[in-house]
Amino acid sequence: MRSVTLAGVVVVLALLVAGCGLVVDTGDGEQLSPVPFDRTLTTGLTGVDVEQAREAGHVVPRGQVFYSQYEYVVGYYGTDALVAGVSDPSHRAQFGRPLAVFVTDLAGTDPALTDEGYVTLPDATAPGWTRTEDAWFVVGTPARTPGGPTALPFGDRGAARAFATAHDGTVVDWDGLRERRTDRPDAGDHEPPVAERQQWADRAVERARETRDRPVSMVVGTDRAAVETAVDNVPPADAAGDAPAGVVLGEDAPTLAAAVDRAPANTTVRLLRGRYDANLSVGRPITLDGTGAATVLDGGGDGSVVTVSSPGVGLTDLRIVGVGSANAGQLESDDGSAWDRRIRLTYGYGDAAVRLRDADRSLVENVSIATPSNGVVALDSDGVVVRETRVNGTDGLSGFMSVLPMYSRMVVEDSRFDGGRDAVYAHYADGTVVRDNHVADLRFGFHDMYTSDALVVNNSVRDVNTGIYVMTRPAGNAVVGNDVRNSSVGISTAGTASYVTGNVVVNNEVGLSVGTTRSTYRGNTVVANGVGVRSTTMLPTNDVFENDIVGNDRPVSPGLATLESWAVDGRGNHWGAVPGVDRDGDGVVERTYRPTDPVDRNARHSPVANALAYSPAAHLFDQFQQAAPGLRGPAVVDPAPLTDPVHPGRLETHNVSTP
Amino acid sequence: MTELGYVADVAEREFRTVLRTPLLLAVGLGYVLLVGGIGWLGGTGAYLALVLDLLTPVELLVPVLSFAVGYRALLGDRESGELETIRTYPITGHWYVVGVYLGRAVVVLGLVLLSFVLAGSVVPTSDTAQLSVVASHPTADSPALYLRYALATALFALVALAIATLVSAAARSTRGGLALATGSVVALVVGLDSALLGAVTGEQVPTTVLALSPNSAYRSLVLELSVAPTGVAVPGGPTVLVSTAALCAWLTLALGLASRLAWR
Repeated sequence: MRSVTLAGVVVVLALLVAGCGLVVDTGDGEQLSPVPFDRTLTTGLTGVDVEQAREAGHVVPRGQVFYSQYEYVVGYYGTDALVAGVSDPSHRAQFGRPLAVFVTDLAGTDPALTDEGYVTLPDATAPGWTRTEDAWFVVGTPARTPGGPTALPFGDRGAARAFATAHDGTVVDWDGLRERRTDRPDAGDHEPPVAERQQWADRAVERARETRDRPVSMVVGTDRAAVETAVDNVPPADAAGDAPAGVVLGEDAPTLAAAVDRAPANTTVRLLRGRYDANLSVGRPITLDGTGAATVLDGGGDGSVVTVSSPGVGLTDLRIVGVGSANAGQLESDDGSAWDRRIRLTYGYGDAAVRLRDADRSLVENVSIATPSNGVVALDSDGVVVRETRVNGTDGLSGFMSVLPMYSRMVVEDSRFDGGRDAVYAHYADGTVVRDNHVADLRFGFHDMYTSDALVVNNSVRDVNTGIYVMTRPAGNAVVGNDVRNSSVGISTAGTASYVTGNVVVNNEVGLSVGTTRSTYRGNTVVANGVGVRSTTMLPTNDVFENDIVGNDRPVSPGLATLESWAVDGRGNHWGAVPGVDRDGDGVVERTYRPTDPVDRNARHSPVANALAYSPAAHLFDQFQQAAPGLRGPAVVDPAPLTDPVHPGRLETHNVSTP
Repeated sequence: MTELGYVADVAEREFRTVLRTPLLLAVGLGYVLLVGGIGWLGGTGAYLALVLDLLTPVELLVPVLSFAVGYRALLGDRESGELETIRTYPITGHWYVVGVYLGRAVVVLGLVLLSFVLAGSVVPTSDTAQLSVVASHPTADSPALYLRYALATALFALVALAIATLVSAAARSTRGGLALATGSVVALVVGLDSALLGAVTGEQVPTTVLALSPNSAYRSLVLELSVAPTGVAVPGGPTVLVSTAALCAWLTLALGLASRLAWR
């Protein structure tokens, strides 16, 4: 046999094998079947909404999507989130088209609606899954999830019709449901809602500070002469009634608590300089006004020092010491809390310098606190303001939270926190504003647990474990203009639809840790960190652009998931000098920069890497390397690196030379 | 002996000629290592990503390989005077050209397929980090995409070799052959597409325009067969049909013309 024939036969056989590729039907989701929901990468509702719904036995319709270019199954809480995840162009670009979409099948479960519109299943049956193209969706009923009105999916048209008839809804199919989707109003909006939250905080401060204007009804001291002088010095205009009562402790009243009990509501009790034994309960709207650090409330190391159980209480110009050392409350007790009982009972009832409960619009101003446990704990108290306050906690982890808003929308401003565990630990304190504080030498500066729509702005944090730490999948948080240095992690985020803008993170082990989905990272200055930006998200759908990421040992540590592209509308980030040129002078280098690639990363200081970065070979490979990001290994690329820094002034401050 | 037997004889002769030329073997080895290296350099764990990584380099390298192997095929015989001898054999010009073409095509296809085996082995061997707590699925990625890509590339290599054979038949001297071959590679890789780029001005361009450039026809075939099934947006159209037909037409026309020119 001729050798060419032999070789030819081999080649033809190989071609036949290759030809098999034509008969295989690829990209077919028919064989896929739903997976247990807790094994998906979950997104959609916030963590707290999910927890609350589970506790109450409410059903939230869920979906799971198998994307053609992403190996992990993505789970969605709520049909809205599901529709968005299937239709959103950015999801398509990142993960490809959906091969199969499954949705909760309520057929046969006999769903009912509560008065508020939450869905319950009387038989406590666990609903199954159906393909969306086989599903029927009931819309226009009062049915809702914690996230808003919802469509309810049924795998059977008859069941859908029956439910629709019973609740005045209409039945649509999957395409019909997708057509009904209205685009999120904030889609593509990269501006954090700072102004409105600042305005709310301003109003809250104004309201709480009204407690400072109360007439003086009582002057309390330990020395008769001093009390009498002080009483005489109160101008008649400031006095409640004819003149304030002078109370000398030990003579006119046995204890401070006894004296305060006599003060009428809506008046001020003036505390002269001195040391007061105080395990005080304030149950009326009064103001305790001291003289500053010389007026010391001493709890004697047992329990909380001041316990407030009335709205509109003012605690001003005081020093509080002798706080009990119990960090946590008793788990056996019961205050009616539900899904988060454990957190609420332990964290919410520890010893504190000031404990507020049901104390809306109360004020803690110019109070200096030394505590082995908590500083100010607020439970079920909205509009509480802590300002110009100083909390010194114990060093190390034995201390606890300096300010702990729980079920309380709070303002913390212009304060200093040193030592202890967390400066502000927010648990389910939606809308809390933390601004213009100084934090040092503790664990976390701001610790967000189950708290959405918070504003953390203009705080400076030094020498901590993590400057700002967002956990538990909340939504809508804004972290703006903070300055975190010399810490293990500067800012670490989680959740969705959040904003991290205009922050400065310098000299940390990790500058910015990105764990969110669909959030904005813009205008941050990330300088001289061990790792500039670390990606930890499994669903890379964030907009990361117009940041200055310069002079870090490693600019970026890629996530676990896939390739991420960091640019929006043709504008990426400033990385210092990068390979490539800006031909048209629009401030954008016409070459993709790969901060996770050894050649690109080292191009600035290695002549070899620099020469290689400009090679035609590198250019050739560049062609399609960003295509199909969901199937690529973890990496970060910037398709439009900026030639000039976004905030040059800030970089100059940190001695970072810019080309 | 039948004509087919003569064709096989000619093919065998060409096959051995190529294998006995160290320079060509070096070029072939270089091609395999280059393509395989690009695959391993990307280190991707997905066939689709591998196809996209290889697409542009292979589109450039396949014409180079085909012309290296093919441009002296008929020219060599003519220059050495062997063509005169072969003319005395009982074989027509057409079958002689077919034989030459087949002999060299086996080499080119072998190299192209070998390089794909090398590059393709990166996917099953690359260990991508797996999160065991999260459910995963095989995605739309599949070896079938890569096989289709290999098939399309084989067709493209055959077309490039046919054009190389045509150049070889048309050239009258080594120097002229080299110039023609270089010019043809440049025309294939850059020239025709540049002309198309200049020609495409309106919104509506007939798909048949693809037929004017073998490279574009090949590229659109790959995009349609291997890339589109995974959900990467590729505009629809009868591209598979048009591209395949175009490539086949280039192949037949080039060979036909070559066989006319060879016997002049």
